[in-house]
Amino acid sequence: MADLDTGHIFLTTLAPIKQGVPPDNSAASYEQKVRIALARLPTAQQSPATEDSKFNSPFARNLRNHFCRMFVLNDVVYNGRDGSGALVNTVKGVNTINPLHVDELKNPYLVFCADVDAITEDHEKLPTDLSPSRQKAVRSAYARELWDTMGEELADLYGNCVGFDDVKTADDFATYLNRCHVETTMPYHDYYLKLPQFHILPFKPLLAAVLIPLAVGLLSLLLWLFGMSTLPLVGWPSLATGLIALVLTVVAFVFSVNFAIKNGEKPLAPGKYDDLPSVLKALYIQQKFADFVVDTQGKPDADLHNAFGDFLAQHAPADVTGPRQKAGVISSAKPENIHQKA
Amino acid sequence: MTRELNLTDIQGNVTRAYGRYSFPFARYFFFHIEDPAAGRAFVDEVRKKVTTAARWGEDLPRPDCTTNIAFTFMGLWMLELPVRTLQGMPDVFAEGMKARAFVLGDRDQTQTQKEAEEEDWDAKWDPLWQDNREAGSGGKNDVHLWVSLNAQLAEPFGMNPHPELEERTKWLMGLCDDKGVRLLARNGPKGDQPYQDASAVFDDLDGAVVPTPKEHFGFTDGIGNPVFEGQYPKEAEKVAVIGRGKRMGKGWEPLATGEFILGHPDESQELPPTSMPPEFMHNGTFFAYRKLHENVGSFNEVLEEEAEAYAATMGVGKEQARETLMASMCGRWSDGVPMALVPTYDEWIKFGQERRFRGEGVEPLEGYKNQLTYIASPEASDFRFADDMAGLKCPGGAHLRRVNTRDYMDPLNAFGVDQKTGTQPANKNAATALNKRRRILRRGLPYGGPAWEEKTDKTEQGVIMIIMGTSLFRQFEFVQQQWIQYGLDFHQGNNTCPLLGNHDHHKRHTIPADPSTGKPTYVMSKLKTFVECRGGDYFFVPSMTALRMIAMGIVDPT
Repeated sequence: MADLDTGHIFLTTLAPIKQGVPPDNSAASYEQKVRIALARLPTAQQSPATEDSKFNSPFARNLRNHFCRMFVLNDVVYNGRDGSGALVNTVKGVNTINPLHVDELKNPYLVFCADVDAITEDHEKLPTDLSPSRQKAVRSAYARELWDTMGEELADLYGNCVGFDDVKTADDFATYLNRCHVETTMPYHDYYLKLPQFHILPFKPLLAAVLIPLAVGLLSLLLWLFGMSTLPLVGWPSLATGLIALVLTVVAFVFSVNFAIKNGEKPLAPGKYDDLPSVLKALYIQQKFADFVVDTQGKPDADLHNAFGDFLAQHAPADVTGPRQKAGVISSAKPENIHQKA
Repeated sequence: MTRELNLTDIQGNVTRAYGRYSFPFARYFFFHIEDPAAGRAFVDEVRKKVTTAARWGEDLPRPDCTTNIAFTFMGLWMLELPVRTLQGMPDVFAEGMKARAFVLGDRDQTQTQKEAEEEDWDAKWDPLWQDNREAGSGGKNDVHLWVSLNAQLAEPFGMNPHPELEERTKWLMGLCDDKGVRLLARNGPKGDQPYQDASAVFDDLDGAVVPTPKEHFGFTDGIGNPVFEGQYPKEAEKVAVIGRGKRMGKGWEPLATGEFILGHPDESQELPPTSMPPEFMHNGTFFAYRKLHENVGSFNEVLEEEAEAYAATMGVGKEQARETLMASMCGRWSDGVPMALVPTYDEWIKFGQERRFRGEGVEPLEGYKNQLTYIASPEASDFRFADDMAGLKCPGGAHLRRVNTRDYMDPLNAFGVDQKTGTQPANKNAATALNKRRRILRRGLPYGGPAWEEKTDKTEQGVIMIIMGTSLFRQFEFVQQQWIQYGLDFHQGNNTCPLLGNHDHHKRHTIPADPSTGKPTYVMSKLKTFVECRGGDYFFVPSMTALRMIAMGIVDPT
């Protein structure tokens, strides 16, 4: 399961969008309505055009998601005719003048992807591994958090999707989003300060596990072909040893491949300060500490010592609950962009 | 293995920085085409005098004055190139440099386009460039053509260009009239100059007046231009490539030709995209022409104030503080010696004396010659940054480390500083893979008065920067946006280039200290915007074949 990696859930959900036009004789189809609802969502206050905007992104209302993306997938991309060689076509009697079947989606989808802290309550510690049911619990907790913080926006978007009509509560939405869930096959993580212990594949032992029985098997069978019914030194029957060794080779091969896949699927450990509150705290401290350095540059030791005491008291570097930068803003320069401890 | 280029088909300013080849003077002319047929006739006249990249020697003496020509997108439009050819041109070239001001940091990046326009963000640009691509003007004063003349000295130890420069100026201006091709004589801050004048900064060395390799802040400039395949003869390339090519595990190698000349494979082993027909853009390239004003007054004031604070904090003399801060901003000491090789002030003083740049018994003129020899030698370019990831020798945010990152960006480089000795990992196998697609050729010259003249923010001086490459977007704009106006790739957060960056909002530059010295890191915190763009645009430099095709009106994309 690649959904979980580095203490984060890399969520992918696809909600089918209803086909056609709503019964209220709207001029816009459900798909157009989803696009309109998406276009109306405010973006984060992180560019000159939005920094002083009245509204921030609704995703900035929770402390779980690092990045997210929502878009309409209206169909699969058509890559053109399947390639095949002229010789193959001739042998198979394929007439390339006839069109091939073109794949298409039955309906468009609202895709929602997010990189979320794999926790069920704010400020929990990020886990290294989670059972499938615990992962589901994390997804549900995030869905409920979204519902509680941006239910109105979600209803605007998902109201155009199949199966959403009965969603009335946070739990309903969690169930709904879970039905839309598909596995993420390629998560991406970029917060490591120090690289974690990677799950290095024991390639040489695995190779030996396959090659040694293979060699024994082939050698035994070769000797048997040359008329040696028993193996020298050990005295085992050649044919039986050869066949057993070959079976062992197959077993070892299947085991090794499975081992490699399982090894690759093992999630990596989270980085030390990987959760969103820590990231927001780090952004805040980085800015305040840079100011502190400039303000105290060249001061006598005693003054510097006192000033640093004040700095620690004011900014509490170890306390991720505050003060810290608010989510969805570009810097901590403005006081209104700082979240103070409750 | 080295590519043989058809040098007589390539314009000479692509392979040569004329300023480095004893041409200390330049005049840049800008024209507007009123009538396409007259425009083609004009191109036909000029192309006959264009200086190509053909190598100078006994058969082909070095000219007294060179001529080169280039076109904006609107210029190509006015010359009636087919739409199919035009629509294959890069989008940033079509948009022009003014439209890219937000990306380049030429205007305040914290403002929206509307706010910037309300404040008339280009009010300081030369009238020529304010009028160019002016919204609502109908393009009546758009810059279409660029012609450059570069000249040698009339005689040594003087400040006069070879008379051929004036001759050719007259000839060129004589080709113009108001109905065919109009000279846009609106250069300079007042818009009263017929052309943009440029020259090396001259200095008086005990009575000997010579062109120096310096710009107006006092830094030695233009040392490490990249070297590409086919630019130099094979033997010369072996030396030229040191410190100026790429390092991919086989020592120094020249960069792929296609990074700088269209129609040749580039560093990603592709042909850079070109319009139809292929021969129209083959052997051509693009450049950004930028008039960069230098606020010498602000620079000296800030340096003075910071040097005082630095001297007090670090317990050193004022002169040492001033020189060290300058070097830490640039990455080279003021005489061009790289900090990566000579990191401390004391070592630098010693180095200059050993090499006889200055010191007892060294005549100023002799010192000048020795310095010129040194900066032209591979020694001045042969250094790395991967052995100084923490920036203890040369600060991570210094100008030099930003514009040419060398092997610093190799993702496998190890970080770390031994707190007792200050030693860092050598990262011997570091490669320049993340740098070799971001290299730029720097052409152009300073403009403004000689070194002995008093300069302020108001006086007219700076550098005419001509930044060449086959992709303005991938090379020039990337370096400008990500490496000059931003610092993340160098662990410098939002801090911009201490020399070229905009410092309206981010005014800091960090100078890390070697922990073994027991000294603290110093942060310059009062930077002002020292370099301001005063206009410019994006130009296409066609090959000689393409110039002939334009002149004959036979560019055929089918």
